[in-house]
Amino acid sequence: MVSVPSPTDRAHSATPAERPPLPVKLVIAGGFGVGKTTAVGSISEIRPLTTEAEITEVAAGVDDLTHTPAKTTTTVAMDFGCITIDPTLKLYLFGTPGQERFGFMWDDLVEGALGGLVIVDTRRLDDCYAAVDYFEYKDIPFVVAVNAFDGKVAHPLDEVRWALDIAAHVPLIVFDARKTGSVRDALLAVLELALSRAEAATAT
Amino acid sequence: MAVGEPVPRPHEAAEDVSGSPEPVGRAPAIRPFLLTAGRVSGGGNAPPMPLETQIVSTSAGLSALNSLTFEHRDIVAACRWPESVAELAARLRQHLNVTRVLAEDLCAAGYLEIFVPNARATQDVSVLRRIIDGLRAVPD
Repeated sequence: MVSVPSPTDRAHSATPAERPPLPVKLVIAGGFGVGKTTAVGSISEIRPLTTEAEITEVAAGVDDLTHTPAKTTTTVAMDFGCITIDPTLKLYLFGTPGQERFGFMWDDLVEGALGGLVIVDTRRLDDCYAAVDYFEYKDIPFVVAVNAFDGKVAHPLDEVRWALDIAAHVPLIVFDARKTGSVRDALLAVLELALSRAEAATAT
Repeated sequence: MAVGEPVPRPHEAAEDVSGSPEPVGRAPAIRPFLLTAGRVSGGGNAPPMPLETQIVSTSAGLSALNSLTFEHRDIVAACRWPESVAELAARLRQHLNVTRVLAEDLCAAGYLEIFVPNARATQDVSVLRRIIDGLRAVPD
């Protein structure tokens, strides 16, 4: 018998149909190299995994209303990790790829997300416009987090908020993607925003 | 070792066991797409299962493990404990959408259970409070 190479190193006592935890997810967005994978890795209980997913690109600058906008699908690598809250509840963190040249349709990835964290590198603010626009458009609670590379932020937060044209109600924070506690606090900021929104929704 | 007994060359060992001259190793990347026959998750009508969807093997699936082949077998073997479809795809190095389609097939065959998260349940105030409390407990 040929043994199947097991991708996990768990013991193989079969306990089939184990009740899975309720999965919830947060989305971590931002430009390439901004620290998404670092942030996921700082707090995930597993080493960040990568999967290939397809997203839809809508070509920018198509003004001709007689034609449908050119849409193409692109395969992107997406990094993710997870945190087991308790045996019945598991939080997943998905790092979505971001680019400024096109509008990206992340619906497939973001569907059902509790909220989003948009990571910003103040040296390359352009890279996060797409993510900010997307979360605003989809009305998903999100926090913009400036990744303080080397513990420093190149620009004051007021300037970052102005440059990114972030609405006043969107929290803007500084964090360090390499530090567990800092990533935890950034995620808590997103969750608290999601909670206050959920509470407001149930009150009405 | 007896004199005159043929010494098997190492690269022949695998062929002897499997009885097949098929090369062993990673299959071309295109093959999984052929396996799904161009189908998409949810049959193209329903939205594809979310990334965090939990998948777990049934006892029927684990019993049938030896009769399953390739990706089907890998998926059922990997889901002894619940896995998200994203984890499953990553660990098996499959394209996410391929894993989704194959998991749906295996679910239809009774070999897997698929737990699609209910958006209303996950965005519930009490669930959010539990996540916040749990996350606060993460040390620096």
